[in-house]
Amino acid sequence: MNVETAATLEIKTVAELRQMCKSRGIVGMSKKRKDIVIDALLAKNIGTATSNIGEIVKETKMPSKIASEIPGPVTAVSFGMKSILTKPSARMGDKTTTTVQVSCGANTAEFPVIGKTVGAVQEFLKEVLNIDRIAEGQVNGKTSTTSYVLQEGDVLEFIKPAGRKG
Amino acid sequence: MNIIIVGLGGIGSMLCDNLLRYLNHLNVPGGVKVDLIDGDHYETKNSERQTFSRLGDKASVKCAEMNYKFNNIVCFDHKEFINENNVARLIPTGAIVFLCVDNHISRKVISNHCQTLNDVTVISGGNEYTDGNVQLFQRKGGVNLTANLTEYHPEIEFPEDQSPEDMSCEELSKSEPQLLFTNLTVATIMCWMFYSIYIGKDITKHGEVYFDISSMATLAKVRTPKSN
Repeated sequence: MNVETAATLEIKTVAELRQMCKSRGIVGMSKKRKDIVIDALLAKNIGTATSNIGEIVKETKMPSKIASEIPGPVTAVSFGMKSILTKPSARMGDKTTTTVQVSCGANTAEFPVIGKTVGAVQEFLKEVLNIDRIAEGQVNGKTSTTSYVLQEGDVLEFIKPAGRKG
Repeated sequence: MNIIIVGLGGIGSMLCDNLLRYLNHLNVPGGVKVDLIDGDHYETKNSERQTFSRLGDKASVKCAEMNYKFNNIVCFDHKEFINENNVARLIPTGAIVFLCVDNHISRKVISNHCQTLNDVTVISGGNEYTDGNVQLFQRKGGVNLTANLTEYHPEIEFPEDQSPEDMSCEELSKSEPQLLFTNLTVATIMCWMFYSIYIGKDITKHGEVYFDISSMATLAKVRTPKSN
């Protein structure tokens, strides 16, 4: 089965999209806007693709010796990503913004700074996180330049200078 | 077990009392040898943050106290500040070093020396007025398991302060204000690290622990060695 992408659906007319919904058992789309109809079709595709994977796994049979040597399918993935509600009145999918964990010393928090540079974040959060002027920025444990643009999944730390006294 | 405590100020004197009390009851095979290193004197003005039973050389006074209190450990005093000339004699391979000094020059000297040893554990603490940090540098079989003290801290790599040896008596007596509870927190986190190492927990993912009394926060950070 061909699984459409957002791009392939965008070029179709609303009438065609509504017909596709009808043929796939998606109800309540006859008066909806084009973007909502596309979202519904994409959501349906994800469900179909997932169920197809299950069918392939079930149908494929191989000798037990070979099967034992091949790593099993990925059943779980863990990654750190958080979102916060930034636009409650926006359309579904645009209501939240993915955040980046930013820390300096013992102080840490999630901030919606994806697309911002490390230098800009340092300036913006210097009062909030008490970031020292000479603190070095590290993204995912590696030294970063101030011009690095933060992406989803990044963890940013400004290394707080070590305490001198004792 | 060879324990070395460098610096017996606000952090070191409180660490010493509690760590040695714990060690005394451990029944470590082969016993526990403790070296206390500090070239400074305990004076009345230090009493607001430091625990000593009498005035005098810090290393000698604390050593006598510990040997009197605890039967299962043997304590030795070294009345000298650590420097590039004596560090190799004072810190041998296999030691567990608690670094409680009040300057980055001493931290750098010890970090550089320990980088040349085969096996060593360094737990280094320091603080400002209400916040601070504890670093763990572990090296086994000539390989760094965590970053050394200077890798993530250019202020230690390029220290701007003075060694206590190079300071006049007047400069030494002018210490910046410190909070007893901040010193105590550093000493406590140093004990956490030691305990985790002693019970065999892998704490290489917690190479540095920060705390901030004013925000009631503690945060552990990974410190992967950048070079080996």
